[in-house]
Amino acid sequence: MKKRIGSIALSALLLFPMLGMLSGCGGEKTVTLRVYNWEEYIDEGGKGSFVYDELHEEDETTHKVTEIESDIVNADYMERYERETGRAFNKNGYDLIDDFEHWYKTQYGVNVRVEYSTFGTNEDMYNQLKLGNKYDLACPSEYMIMKLASEGMLDPLDESFFDETDENNHYIRNVSRFIQDKFEAGELEVSDSDTGKKHWSDYAAGYMWGTTGLVYNPETVDESDLEQGWNIMRYPKYKGKVTTKDNVRDSYFVALAIRYRTELLALDPADENYNAMVTEIMNRRDAETVAEVEKILMDIKRNIFGFETDTGKSDMVKGTISLNFAWSGDAVYAMDEAEDQGVSLNYYMPEESANLFFDGWVIPKDGGRSDETRHAAHAFINYLSMPRNAVRNSYYIGYTSVIGGEEMFEYTDNLYGAEDDDETAVDYDLSYFFGNDREYVISAPEEQLKRQLYAQFPPQQDTLRCAVMDYYGKEADDLINELWTRVKGEALDAWAIIVLCTAAATAIGSFLIMKFGSKIDWFRRKPKTGYRLVKQEPIKPQ
Amino acid sequence: MKAPRFSRKTLCIPYAVFLLFFVLVPMAVIFVYAFTDADMHFSFWNFINFFSDPTKIFTVIYSVVIALVTTVITLLIAYPTAYILARSKIKKRNVLLLLFVTPMWINFVLRINAIRELLNWIGLLGTANYFNTIFGMVYDFLPFMILPLYTTIQKIDESLYEASADLGGNRLTTFFRVTVPLSMPGIGSGITMVFLPSMTNYVVSDMLGNSKVTIIGKFIETYFGTDWHMGSMIALILLIVVFFSAWLSGGFKADETARGANL
Repeated sequence: MKKRIGSIALSALLLFPMLGMLSGCGGEKTVTLRVYNWEEYIDEGGKGSFVYDELHEEDETTHKVTEIESDIVNADYMERYERETGRAFNKNGYDLIDDFEHWYKTQYGVNVRVEYSTFGTNEDMYNQLKLGNKYDLACPSEYMIMKLASEGMLDPLDESFFDETDENNHYIRNVSRFIQDKFEAGELEVSDSDTGKKHWSDYAAGYMWGTTGLVYNPETVDESDLEQGWNIMRYPKYKGKVTTKDNVRDSYFVALAIRYRTELLALDPADENYNAMVTEIMNRRDAETVAEVEKILMDIKRNIFGFETDTGKSDMVKGTISLNFAWSGDAVYAMDEAEDQGVSLNYYMPEESANLFFDGWVIPKDGGRSDETRHAAHAFINYLSMPRNAVRNSYYIGYTSVIGGEEMFEYTDNLYGAEDDDETAVDYDLSYFFGNDREYVISAPEEQLKRQLYAQFPPQQDTLRCAVMDYYGKEADDLINELWTRVKGEALDAWAIIVLCTAAATAIGSFLIMKFGSKIDWFRRKPKTGYRLVKQEPIKPQ
Repeated sequence: MKAPRFSRKTLCIPYAVFLLFFVLVPMAVIFVYAFTDADMHFSFWNFINFFSDPTKIFTVIYSVVIALVTTVITLLIAYPTAYILARSKIKKRNVLLLLFVTPMWINFVLRINAIRELLNWIGLLGTANYFNTIFGMVYDFLPFMILPLYTTIQKIDESLYEASADLGGNRLTTFFRVTVPLSMPGIGSGITMVFLPSMTNYVVSDMLGNSKVTIIGKFIETYFGTDWHMGSMIALILLIVVFFSAWLSGGFKADETARGANL
């Protein structure tokens, strides 16, 4: 009998997927959308998500969580959510990918299933694509987008995606002009340019953006020293108190800014070509520059506390280090974290130049992709670009969304704006980012001009010195990777030689003793002259 | 036709499959990648590049140096510990042994993070990068040295010590003439298990040496981001170094003289 039950269970198990297939065939088709994104780079709902945190409050001492009312996530918000996605609102917040599937079904009447996978670095993503893994949407950084385009690995976005009159085109209707201008101006070297498309905007839709700068502790760093700019990395006063990133592009950028500091500072920010000139300098990669950069990086290596990828944030908060090269999103995280512990940290973009980076959605080339999938891919970008979803993502991820407009501004104002009765508050103009239909000015507490607000949205004037770093091309990439190997690698010093010689001497010595030891008197066992009495148990009489 | 018969050999199939797909195939892939260029054409370029770049060679040598120092220190700490543990008459020596092994049950990254905090508290973090790296490695690999030593020393027949004493050997002579030679398989196995991983365990050098100490494993990781072919070449060269040192320390002896030391 037992056996019978077992076989029934087994056949039921076998039938199960078949049932699924049957229902799949029964009229309604399911579109599969393969999305490849950074780890932790989308609102996954639950604690730490915008919806949850707006509606819940945790008591600091008892850690008891109570539900609260929210001005933003109010009855209207919930009602609209339910209408758009066709699912009941959840106070704990749903996964945004899950929401998309429901939204797409409600909006277009088509079932979509998102196969979501993540990567850790741009290079990992590139390698996966090269190995032949298929994705319908991927989210690499700007230089990787350039690399993919130059190798003909991208499909352009649909023209209809940019039609502002279409109400469903949330991306083009909401994206910040500042970002879209950069995207439209940026040129790509596309290897298969028979389509004539060669701008970033033809291939990529922005997702998050940010700058690089220095997070510093104002208690241990003299603000006047910041005038040194990136040079502070090799300033003896902060020896062992500053860190930089353990990757070649960021470190190269820092060293490049140090190398061309005089030239960069001599440029006139009022010049209309200022940004283009800064960008030109910050993309130099001729052999002479690379050689000089190497020397500067060696100086930096001697002076810094270390290279880091992840430990910088906590080391800043703990006070182990005073200055830390940071991506703006990480900087915001570090400043938030520090505030919780009663420490205040600031963010600073050096006068010479800072890096402007962004991650964007692209469609990797795949001959077998159906029109339905293409449609779903564009819809996915549009869904993430709906202002309220952009808010959810910004809140969850900590980076700045490329989406501008009214809702995003209100969210930012809510987060960083001053209290109404704060008389020291300063006006902070962000019209360049949020839109040119009206003035977008945040009245912010003065310290925010150096903190999270500044890191998330630098004022327009400061964005002028932000340079995008291009994809360097295979040749220059190889040159710079080799430079990095030399900077990071070890040289033979006295200690190493002493250890090696000792080891070799020991090895040869013991080999010789093993082999010829018996022939040398000194090693030969000598007969003892007298015997030592050994303690012995008395023999018991039988 | 004969019906398929179940024999003892059948039990080997899972392992053979595992061996094929997770040991042999990856090695073959590494080999192919090491000797090809970006277009997958045969090329010696990576080989030549490796041996014409002093940084890479010095880094390999430095990794060997760090691994050597780690191994010697680990051996110097582990041998007395294992000896005392194995020869003591304490009834609860299994509990004592457990104390040395328990840290292995805690996640490696957590342990290294804890050590990082500790070194920071003492004030060594960021000032003594090489020391920190070796300290972390010794801490991490100590159980791997103690265990094989403990097993071999414990298995030495008591009567041999008595015989040595009968023949007039004092404690020191007994130790050097009896204990050490008989625990050689354990020493060899311990060395293999400490020396080899400490050449590649770059998490320790990254976390405790603040990435200012670079061992060869780190280079493999970095190159696998940008250039799989060079990365494979370094991995292959390391593999050769590993085989060579395993052969030197006698890690391949599988006969009865090993006496359970080959874990």
